[in-house]
Amino acid sequence: MSALLDIKDVVVRFAVRGGVFSSAGSIDAVSGVSLSIEEGKTYGIVGESGSGKTTLARAVAGLHHASEGSILYRGQELRDLPEAQFRKLRREIVMMFQDPIGSLSPRLSVKSLITEPFRIQGMKGRDLDAEARRLLAMVGLPPEFAARYPYQISGGQARRVGVARALALDPKLLIADEPTAGLDVSIQGEMLNLLARLQDELGLAIMIITHNLNVVRHITDRVGIMYLGKLVEEGETDTVFSAPRHPYTLALLAANPEPDPDAQLMRIELQGEPPSILNRPTGCEFHTRCPFAQARCSTDVPSWQVAGPAAHRCHLPASWEQDKVCPA
Amino acid sequence: MSDTSLPKPRSEMGEILHHLLRDPLGLVGLVIVTLIVGSALLAPWIAPYDPIAMNIPDRLQGPSAAHLLGTDQIGRDTFSRVIWGGRVALQVALPTIGGAVAIGLILGMAAGYGPKWLDTLIVLFFDTLRSFPTVMFALAVVALVGPSLNTVIFVIMATSIPTYGRVVRTLTLSLKEAEFITAERALGASTLRIMGVHLLPNVLGPLAVLAAMDIPTVVGLEAGLSFLGMGVRPPTPSWGSLLNDGYSLIRNTPWLIIAGGIPLILTTIGFTFLGEALRDVVDPKLRGKGGK
Repeated sequence: MSALLDIKDVVVRFAVRGGVFSSAGSIDAVSGVSLSIEEGKTYGIVGESGSGKTTLARAVAGLHHASEGSILYRGQELRDLPEAQFRKLRREIVMMFQDPIGSLSPRLSVKSLITEPFRIQGMKGRDLDAEARRLLAMVGLPPEFAARYPYQISGGQARRVGVARALALDPKLLIADEPTAGLDVSIQGEMLNLLARLQDELGLAIMIITHNLNVVRHITDRVGIMYLGKLVEEGETDTVFSAPRHPYTLALLAANPEPDPDAQLMRIELQGEPPSILNRPTGCEFHTRCPFAQARCSTDVPSWQVAGPAAHRCHLPASWEQDKVCPA
Repeated sequence: MSDTSLPKPRSEMGEILHHLLRDPLGLVGLVIVTLIVGSALLAPWIAPYDPIAMNIPDRLQGPSAAHLLGTDQIGRDTFSRVIWGGRVALQVALPTIGGAVAIGLILGMAAGYGPKWLDTLIVLFFDTLRSFPTVMFALAVVALVGPSLNTVIFVIMATSIPTYGRVVRTLTLSLKEAEFITAERALGASTLRIMGVHLLPNVLGPLAVLAAMDIPTVVGLEAGLSFLGMGVRPPTPSWGSLLNDGYSLIRNTPWLIIAGGIPLILTTIGFTFLGEALRDVVDPKLRGKGGK
């Protein structure tokens, strides 16, 4: 299978305005990320708040400008693509935003909201009533919802409206930014089942941005772990979850509630907050919080090490001999 | 697939009116405003006398069955002049506010949504306009082209553009970063569509409130300018010129100044109530919450 989306060394740089006591400069919110998503597959991006995962998603959706690198969609370069040409691709590359209600235009009825893609993309000829009914049925909402306004529906219902809107035009790639944020656990489950079902039916590739590891474990094929704007570990979800190599991945998994009390996973607790992206650590950017860090970690930037169906960037990766973790 | 039609959402205007009528403040405001606008529109049929016809023998009368609010120093019927004065007041207020809102809306949205240089330019323009004191500006324009209704409209409109423009700009700036606007961009909506379909309806509500509250100010300004002799020319009846006449005759008859003052007060109360009630109603999230 060929890659639908191929991201190479993407950097998203923001200018920082200087104040009276500070000089102007720039920060790299995303700093050299490469990954590729295959048609019909699900790719999860995991990371803490501020790790640059939303910025990466928005760069792919053409909402932020990537300063360096390349974003190839079916071989076509998206970086620097003028909006007039990008607009046609917006039928195929769609995005769902974090805030279910806040991402719906508050003065539009649900019907207007879900049929808006047709109007924007110049498909007014369609029977919008029929399309609205089809889309509401697709996401499991009764037709009466067409007359509601965003302030009259719940977060979970708004999320479904968001899905209907995103999938109205039969896209090829859905970028879902925190699709389960702000939803009850039971509704989160429904949401994920809905996405999985629609993915099967429509042959959709999904790039899912989340900090919820259980979501990633259950619905993604591949996963990338992001820290301070860079991927630290990347690969097939099963491999990354069963045999994490990078200490940051280990720590994330250790922090995730484990329903099985017999599961033996090393506990790693991270101290402190992630460093400021304005003041990026030298060497491996994780060394300031890494419990295993050694001298060279603060000077040498680790390069990618491929280990089976996954890869990581760490000088001292965990090894998984005989199912037992022994770092370094 | 069933062929039942989808339910139609209730229209925004219907929704607003429905909630407005259930708010006592809104109801009182609406009644007063309807009364003022209605009497101004129907002035030729309501007013018992010609507002500029002199009748010297009946001058300076108190209220009577023949003259409900008495007469002035040349025997004109005050009640008729109040009714016709309302016409002048609205003739000034509506185009003034309408023009200022329209221009402020366009400039404010362009400043808020457009590039930085355009924003700087428009804000500079607003600040320049705002720095003119209305009355001084009016004096200068009157000195140039002479007093008239159009002068009043032009002066008040020019000096109130920044008020609306700045409110629209601020609202636009805060909405621009809202997630639903980013979501529209991600769908490929054009700038024009984002401004017209998604920004405008969210800006219009607060703006309508502001405009309703501003109508009495403009009516008062018109009265003030007419009082100073810079507004409408005699013998055209205006609430300001009624006050002016009444002021000089206050020792002979208090009726004139009372008759000129009461409609001003009523206009202020009516539009302010309406504005207050609108504020609670135009935001769909606050609708029907009952109470503040």
